[in-house]
Amino acid sequence: MTRTLVVLFVVTVALAGAVVVRAVVPAPQEVQPRQPAVPDAADVHVRNGVTCEACHGTPLAGSSATAPIYAPIARTAIAPLCARCHADAAYMRQFAPQVRVDQYAQYQTSVHGQQMAKGETRVATCSDCHSAHGVLHVRDTRSPVAPANVAGTCARCHADADLMTPFDRSPEAFSDWKGSVHAAALLERGDLSAPTCSTCHGSHGATPPGVDTVANVCAQCHVREAELFRASPKQPVFAAMELADCLVCHNNHAIERPDDSWIGFESPAVCAICHDETTNGANVIRSVGDGLRALRRDTDEAVSLVARAEEAGVLVEDGHLALASAREAHVRLRVLVHAFAAPPFDEVLAEGRTAVEAARAAGTAGLDELDFRRTGLAIATLFILGFLVTLYIKIRRLPPITN
Amino acid sequence: MASDRNPMSAPSPGRRSLLNWLLGTWSAGVLGSIVFPVVRYLVPPEIPEAPTLSVMAGPASTLAPNTGRLVPFGNSPAIVVRLASGELRAFAGTCTHLSCTVQYRPDLEHIWCACHNGHYDLHGRNISGPPPRPLEAYDANVQGDEIVISKKG
Amino acid sequence: MKAWLADRLPVAEVEAAIAHKTVPQHRHSIWYYLGGMTLFFFGVQVVTGILLLLYYRPSAAEAYDSVQFIMTRVPFGWLIRSIHSWAANLLVAAAFIHLFSVLFLKAYRRPREITWITGVLLLFVILAFGFTGYLLPWNELAFFATRVGTDIAGAVPFVGEATVRFLRGGPEVTGATLTRFYGVHVAVLPAIATVLVGLHLLLVQYHGMSVPPSVESEARRAGRPIPAMPFVPHFALRDLFGWTVALAMLAGLSAFLPWELGVRADPFAPAPAGIQPEWYFLWTFQALKLVPATVLGVSGELIALVGMTAGALALVFLPMLDRNTDRSRAIVTWAAIGALGFMVAMTLLALVGGHS
Repeated sequence: MTRTLVVLFVVTVALAGAVVVRAVVPAPQEVQPRQPAVPDAADVHVRNGVTCEACHGTPLAGSSATAPIYAPIARTAIAPLCARCHADAAYMRQFAPQVRVDQYAQYQTSVHGQQMAKGETRVATCSDCHSAHGVLHVRDTRSPVAPANVAGTCARCHADADLMTPFDRSPEAFSDWKGSVHAAALLERGDLSAPTCSTCHGSHGATPPGVDTVANVCAQCHVREAELFRASPKQPVFAAMELADCLVCHNNHAIERPDDSWIGFESPAVCAICHDETTNGANVIRSVGDGLRALRRDTDEAVSLVARAEEAGVLVEDGHLALASAREAHVRLRVLVHAFAAPPFDEVLAEGRTAVEAARAAGTAGLDELDFRRTGLAIATLFILGFLVTLYIKIRRLPPITN
Repeated sequence: MASDRNPMSAPSPGRRSLLNWLLGTWSAGVLGSIVFPVVRYLVPPEIPEAPTLSVMAGPASTLAPNTGRLVPFGNSPAIVVRLASGELRAFAGTCTHLSCTVQYRPDLEHIWCACHNGHYDLHGRNISGPPPRPLEAYDANVQGDEIVISKKG
Repeated sequence: MKAWLADRLPVAEVEAAIAHKTVPQHRHSIWYYLGGMTLFFFGVQVVTGILLLLYYRPSAAEAYDSVQFIMTRVPFGWLIRSIHSWAANLLVAAAFIHLFSVLFLKAYRRPREITWITGVLLLFVILAFGFTGYLLPWNELAFFATRVGTDIAGAVPFVGEATVRFLRGGPEVTGATLTRFYGVHVAVLPAIATVLVGLHLLLVQYHGMSVPPSVESEARRAGRPIPAMPFVPHFALRDLFGWTVALAMLAGLSAFLPWELGVRADPFAPAPAGIQPEWYFLWTFQALKLVPATVLGVSGELIALVGMTAGALALVFLPMLDRNTDRSRAIVTWAAIGALGFMVAMTLLALVGGHS
């Protein structure tokens, strides 16, 4: 009898402990932060009259009218549940005639969707990015999927090493992107056209672009560079080596501002990854790199020449215009680098050189004007001094004052 | 001045006229140094007014339909476009995204920015790509054979 | 030709007056040249101002560019503009030195009270010229200096706001302010100045040069008359000498220290740090800064304004206040020293503070 009681006691304690532990320690698959229990007034669904029952069904028996309790929704069931309305064109038209209804279809093609379909719940579903109860329109700057916030939302999982390691993915992407020129454009300058995670990877259909298609993604904005590259001798080489077009030199996430020193044979030159002075194309590398750096140097010289004239008081308007042209030429030359050939590059280089010459001429003209002024002043001062000396003598020779 | 009771108080007539002659010459020099700049100043300069409210944009006869031309306007570029219909339009030539200089694309029949694929229609409105604002429109008129671009209003 | 004129104009009388004009010679005679020096700078301003008028455009959209145009494209435009800017400062300096010399030498005594009053009013006119002219290039410094300067008028109770609106041509400093200041600078003030200068010069000719009390009493005690220099040619040639030196200084300053154009005014940009008015207003600016915000419940700014207005009125009516006794003259001398010391101290404070 005592033994039975002990066993019963132990089992009860164990069960109680399991219940307590279960209540306190979250299950491994709950990776997202807890959703707010009740949607607020800003929630898009609330504002459009979509009630709790629409998603949660009827409340469980025994829950009160003011604080209903619903059955929990399994993670794998979330996307199909949302799609019940959001994939129904006729239904969605009532609220927003232009809204897209292919999000679920896209999701099913994405890595997230494919994993979820296999039962792997440690991937994102609708409520993870859009939240379940405080859903805001993508236009709303507070929304987790507004352009400026997207990267932070993705980073909730993709920057977490514990979450990424089981899937053999690097958690570095977010911090890489954060230091890139694209992040600076988006977050510091507020340029909403700058790419964030979803721009290149897709949002609902999120999948990393493959090696042979990643360049198409960059080409959405960097049209000119892509055109030049595809017509360049590099393109077939990269295709044969199965290298991703833009990424070899520019990286995928940690995209830095390129520098003229990237063209050459020594670090930090990107050409040096494959080329040295003996390889094919070495002379193009040399002439392009040297051309860029020479133009930059000459422009800086012209800038200081013009500045010197202006500091001394001569305004040099034409110089500024010419310097702007020279800087334009430099920007265009950096784009023409992607042709990986001399002819188009050299043409614009010549234009740049002409502009620098014009700036230098304007600066020199300014300094000449300074000389002219000083010479003119010297002559005028000479006349004035002669006059003053003569006048002084005349004054001294005046008849004395008699009273 | 020191005392005027100068032992040499009454210089000889020769000395006096030499002095006066010198005085006259030097004062002519001084007056010349004043009058010469003033006279030059009064003559209107080559370019009669500041190129910031209006600017010449080259001959009208050489701007064919469906072509554009970039010209400097003050410190920044301006683009003048002749439409296929023959009408002249002009806009600021600086892209509103990151300030690259735009160009006219005859194949697209509108204005394009090469830096990040920004497109503007023939009213200057930003229709595609990153530019956030339209291009400022200018007035384009023809005087003789010269196109004149001026700020609106 | 001269006979034709003499028949119709009082040529003979004018010639006689000039020939008989004399200037007393004593240890303080050097100060007699300052009135003429002020007149010279004023003349330079009139000539260069008229020249600038030919190219300047008084609208917010065009002003800055027109000044840039004058300085870069018009031949010798840089010279005319720099001379105008430098001479403005030298004019104010000369006017103040002239004022203080008259103050110390008591040249405002009977019968020269009206000469003094016209002179003080001319000083105010010159300061107004400086204040209105400073805005005309429409650069950043001028824009904000004008905003701060016109703000001060708002401290006056009841009429303060209306005064500010009147000065600015609106509630804020805008193109309307520019046009208004331009009209005042090229038409209103020159008209007033012409009348005042004409009156001032006429009265100086009429009364002749004043001799300081100390020199007068010395001569009386010694029983000797005060030596006098003929105006023509002795004094006039010396005057010419001084004016030529001043001209050389202006030319040198314009060539070696040309006046800046500055940055174009942007009403929507924040005010740059350390905005200060021109040096001749620094002492008022600094004094206003030092006054506490409220004194006994009254706005500190208002008290300072009242104080300055009282000072200005005292200055205008000084000849009436001075009883022409040794004692009251001594009071005026000490008051003048105090005022000068105050202005210098405030100016130095402002300059040092501006660099810290």
